[in-house]
Amino acid sequence: MASNYNIMYLYIYDSFLNNKKYSNVLIRIENRLADLDIKGKICRLNILKNMKEVIEDGVNQGIKTVVAVGDDLTFSKVVNIIAELDITLGLIPVNGKSKIAQILGIPNDEYACEVLAQRLIKRLDLGKINQQYFIDSATIASPAVTLEFDNYKISPISKNSLVSLCNLGFLTDNQTIYKERLSNPADGFLEAVVAPLKGGIFNKLKGAVKQSIFPFTKIKITSQGEPATIIIDQQAVSKTPAEVTVAPKKLKVIVGSKRLF
Amino acid sequence: MFKSEKNKPPQNVETIIGPSVKLEGDFAGEGDIVIEGIVLGNLKTKGHLQVGHEAKITADVEAQSAYVAGEISGNLNIKDNLELTATARINGDIKVVSLSVEKGAQINGKVCMNEQATLTKKSPNVSKEN
Repeated sequence: MASNYNIMYLYIYDSFLNNKKYSNVLIRIENRLADLDIKGKICRLNILKNMKEVIEDGVNQGIKTVVAVGDDLTFSKVVNIIAELDITLGLIPVNGKSKIAQILGIPNDEYACEVLAQRLIKRLDLGKINQQYFIDSATIASPAVTLEFDNYKISPISKNSLVSLCNLGFLTDNQTIYKERLSNPADGFLEAVVAPLKGGIFNKLKGAVKQSIFPFTKIKITSQGEPATIIIDQQAVSKTPAEVTVAPKKLKVIVGSKRLF
Repeated sequence: MFKSEKNKPPQNVETIIGPSVKLEGDFAGEGDIVIEGIVLGNLKTKGHLQVGHEAKITADVEAQSAYVAGEISGNLNIKDNLELTATARINGDIKVVSLSVEKGAQINGKVCMNEQATLTKKSPNVSKEN
C-alpha cells in the first residue's frame, strides 16, 4: 500500500456524531482509514470548538486535505471556510441522508474511505450568494422577484413560479436542468431557471417545456415588498436583495467514480 | 452581461425564455435562443432564434437564423434563413438572406434580401415590399 505521508489529513467530526449511537460507525471508519494509510488528525466539534479556528489551525500546521465527517450541513459549513484556502475537501457521509454525497459519488460510512484513498480530485465551480457559497443550487419560491443581469432583467409573470439558481441543480424540486445535463458544475457558469408551478397543495412543476433558462456569471435578485427567502443547498437560508456570482473552479474536492457530473 | 469575453455564455447552450417570464433590456447571446414569453428591448444572438406562437417580442432582433411563430414588433436582421409560420406577425422591417413564408403569416414592413448573399445562394423564396 502506498503511503500518504506527504498528504496531511484533518478529519472534522460534526457535533451530532458525539451521540453514542454513532460510536460504532466511527470506529469502523477510523479502522478503515488506518488500513488505507490515510489516518490524520481528528477534531470532534462541540459547542466550545469553532470549526473555522480548527481548520485555520490545521492549515497553519500544514494540513492539505480537510475531510468533513457528518452530513450535508457539515460539508456546507466546511466549504464556506475552505473556499478561500488552498485545501482539498473530502466527505465521509454518516447517517445515510447526504445528497451532496450522491452528487460527488461518495458511498456512506466506512465505504467512503476507499474514495478518499483514491484521491480523484475535481475542481468545481461554486455559487456565491452574498457571502455564502453553495455547491448545488439556491431556490426562491416567490414570484415577486426580479433577476437583474448586466443589461437586462427578467421577472416571472406567473403567480406560482419556482426560481432556481443552479450549479448542478440536483437538490432543487426542478431536476430537469440536472437530468437534461444543461448544467455543469465545472463550466464557469450558473443557470437561472424559472419554472411555473401547477399550484394546489403539491405545487408540481408544469414541465420542462415551459421553463426559462439563462446562463450567467453574476446577477442581482431583488423583490417587491417583503424580502423573499432563498434556500441555499436545501439547508441554509438567505434573503433578498442578494447578489449571486459564480466562483469558477473554486473548490478542490475528492469525488468518486459514480459522481453525477 | 456579455460585454467581456469572461461574461459570455458557453457556446451553443440554449437560453430559453419561457411563457411565464418577461425579459426587459438588451439581451445578447452566443448560442441558440428559444422564446415563448415576453421580450422588451433588444435581442441579439450569433446562433439560431426560435420564437414560439405565444411569444410577444417588442425589440429589434438580430440572429444568424430564425424560426418565427409568434409576434415581433421591431426590425429583424437575420444573417441566414428566416422561416415565418402561419401564426407569425411581424411589425417591422426584415433584412434577410433567405426567407420562407407560410400562408397566413403577416409582414407589416419592408423586406430586404441581401444582394451579395443572394447571388451566392441563388434561390431566394420571397422578395417583396409592403
